[in-house]
Order: sequence, then structure tokens, then C-alpha cells
Amino acid sequence: MPGPGCSGDPVSDRGERRGQGLRLLRLLVQSGALGLIVAAPLLNFYLHIDFIQGWYQSLSIGKLWFVSPLEGLESLLVAKVIYFPLLIGMFIPVLLAYFLGRVFCGWICPVNFLSDLSDRLVNVVAGKKKHCDLLVFPRQIFWFALIVELIFTMVLGTPLFVFLSPPGLIGREIMRVVFFHTLAWEGLVVAAVLLANLVTRRMFCRYFCPLGALLAFLGGRRRLKVFFDPDSCTRCGQCRRACPLGLDPAAGDGRSPYCWNCGECVESCKPASLRLGWDKRQ
Amino acid sequence: MGWNWTRAKVKRRDFLQITVGLSTGLFLLPAPVRAGKFFASPVARNRLRPPGAVPEEIFAGKCIRCGRCVEVCPYKSIVPLDIGNGVYAGTPLVYAETVPCYLCMKCVAVCPTGTLRKISQQETRMGLAVLNRQLCHNWQDQILCRTCYDVCPFKNQAISLEELRPVVHEEACTGCGICTHACPLTAENGDKAINIEPLYAGARVQW
Repeated sequence: MPGPGCSGDPVSDRGERRGQGLRLLRLLVQSGALGLIVAAPLLNFYLHIDFIQGWYQSLSIGKLWFVSPLEGLESLLVAKVIYFPLLIGMFIPVLLAYFLGRVFCGWICPVNFLSDLSDRLVNVVAGKKKHCDLLVFPRQIFWFALIVELIFTMVLGTPLFVFLSPPGLIGREIMRVVFFHTLAWEGLVVAAVLLANLVTRRMFCRYFCPLGALLAFLGGRRRLKVFFDPDSCTRCGQCRRACPLGLDPAAGDGRSPYCWNCGECVESCKPASLRLGWDKRQ
Repeated sequence: MGWNWTRAKVKRRDFLQITVGLSTGLFLLPAPVRAGKFFASPVARNRLRPPGAVPEEIFAGKCIRCGRCVEVCPYKSIVPLDIGNGVYAGTPLVYAETVPCYLCMKCVAVCPTGTLRKISQQETRMGLAVLNRQLCHNWQDQILCRTCYDVCPFKNQAISLEELRPVVHEEACTGCGICTHACPLTAENGDKAINIEPLYAGARVQW
């Protein structure tokens, strides 16, 4: 059954676009984020420089430590002991999610970056501008995934997401290649997630990623949002086709917790009815 | 907000079919994966956690598999496990006879979750070196070998020579595995004449 984004005619006349330059900016941030976790094991292995360590499960830059909120939460839930360095490591990511929403997913996560790149590759190979979303679930499954994940974690005493998280696996596989010149089978999880994009764009990110769900939950009252101006909107529907998550920014989805502020809709909107901006609550 | 099934393109029935199908598919996994192996700890003789590790009971739960201990280890002693170890995939392990731990304590300093507790060299208890007197050249009166004694970082405390034969002292042995690595004698099953037994990994957690 064809989804909403299927009959899209290609976006033409690129010159006319009046975006905010978000596409290039996001490409740079994503490349930098992936470059960081490629550089870290190389520096550690060949030069013994441990200034940067880890990847997006825990990353340290000098004495600044980050811990992924979901991984940290699971560790705390299973250990049933508060470990303050862990909480402090989670502080900045949680703050980021609180004010900016799921920006980690949209701007940093290597899974989304590889998905973006593979989308472009598919576009080149298949000559298709926009993908069809063949399998569309109710998006509330997202919360269900988070709850199931946390309950299973506590029942089994073993965090499920931690050892098979796609963003974590990308980091782990890069490190494994650099350090041990080999790959591990669990890397296929990443391949499966990328292949699922062919069925529905960002299938995993949309419905099944518990980390994304936790960040969305934290960002429920976020300040960075996609604002919509209904007066200038021409109802062309380009924003809906551009959204990798299958959201409809013209229906106010740009302010929903599901939106990850990637700005694709903003860039696709020709009358500039959409704007990524800061919500200045009075 | 509620479950808006009408907006969705997949109906409730399809969703249930997919869910049931996927859970049924789990039973098609290879038998050892389904069986206890999936939850079996990889810690065994000469297969050790890095220094300061919490008991094995909660190790897989506390460790977030960030790999920082692996990256920071200057000797490449720490190896991340793969999916063959089930839920322990991504956790760090030291293969004592291959590359032992040289107790530089860098991994302990970087662990963000407290899975590797911040302890000193002397407090480290990765296991206990156990000498197999049936194999050891000295104890079999074959040749004089004092390799384990020579390499031990706590010489005369953890391993001493008594009548030219090595003896391990439990109160000082850190279980670093340097003696195991250095031991020239390898048995048919791959064991050395001195092996590290991870005795302390089985400790119960005080909740």
C-alpha cells in the first residue's frame, strides 16, 4: 500500500529554494560527528593519544564526558545504585534533548547520517527522487518500544539496547576494524536498519529506536521547533514528502515530540512557510 | 493522544501478525543461542575482566559497551566480545595467556559507569594465580624455571620462591596474568602451568 510520500514529483528549480542553509550545515555536523568516532580509535591505536575516546554511547573529549541518556538510565536501573559520574555524564545530553529535542538523531547520530547517504545513493541508482513509505505503523509505537525496552532490561538484568544499539554498533565496529582488523556479526544490525529504509524511510528511527523515544520524551517541551505559517502556505505538500519521518509539518507535526529538527521540510518549502526557530515563551 | 489506528496504514491485525511472526522467528535461532549460552558469562580460567570490575552478576547490566577501556588500553590487553557471547557482546575481556594486564589502571580511570571501580594496583583482584604442581617444571623436579617469579609485578609478595619452587600468595596476587602469559609450559588444553582463576567475579552483589 503506498504511503503518503509516494507520488512525489521531483523537487525542481533548485535555485528558487529559500531555505535557511540547514541542509549544508547538517551535512557538515553529521560528517564531523562521524569523523570524530573514526578519528578517536585511530588516534588511540596509532598515536596513543587518548584525548578523545569512545563513541555515542559514551564519548570523552579531554575531561568532558558524555554518556548516552538511555544507556546511562539502563545502567542505573540494572545496577540499582546511583553512580554520580554517570549522572553527570548524562547531564549535557539530557539538557540538549530538553531544549532542542531529538537533535542528536537528526544531526549527530551516525545511523541517520548513513541513512541519509544511502538515500542519496538509492536516488542516484534508482533515479527516484523520493521514497515510498510502504509500511506505516501508528507512530505511538515509538513509546511502546521505549517502555518494552526498559521493562525487558529490568526483568533480564541486561540492557538490551546497549549491546545491539545501531549507533553504538557503528562506533564499536569502527573501533574493531582499527584495533583488531576484523568485523563482528552484530554489525549486520546496522545493515538491517539501513535496508529497512527501503521499505519505509527511517523505519527503525521512526518506530523502534528506544533512544530516540527517550530523547523525544525529554524534549516534549523543547524550545527549538519547526514553526508553520498557514497564511503563506500553498498546500503543495513538499514538506510532507521531504520529511524522513513521514510527519506532516503543515499539520503542526513540526512541534510534536516526534520531529527531530533536521530541517528537511524547511529546506523544501518554497514559500518559506516553515521556519526552524527558537520558541521564545513569554 | 491515544492509539490512532485509523490514521495508520497498517491495521491492528497486520501489526499483530508481524509481532507474532517476529516472536515466532526467535525460536528459529540456533539452539545454542536460545539456550543458556546466550546468557552465559564469558569469564573463565584466564578469561578475565579488566581491573576493578564489579561482580559478574551485574557486569553485563552496568557496562554500557562504550569501548573506552578497550581504546585506552596501551597494551591492547582488553578485547571487546562479539555477539557469539550473547548479551555479553561488547563487554571487555582480558585473555591472560595472550596479552595479560599490565596494571596501568588507565581503563579504570575512564570507565564512565563505575563498572570498573576506581581502585589501585594493589587492590586489583582480576583473579587468583593458581599453580598446577603436576605441570610446573620446578615442582616436578625437572628443571629450574623461575619465569613466573621473575615477571610478577609483586615479586616476593604475590609469588615467592620456597626451596626454589614458586608459591602464590592469595593476599597479594592481583590476577593480572603476567605470570600466565610468561609461563613456558602449555598443556594440551591450552592451559599454562600457572593460570588465573577469576574467583572474585562470582561474588554476590549487595543490593
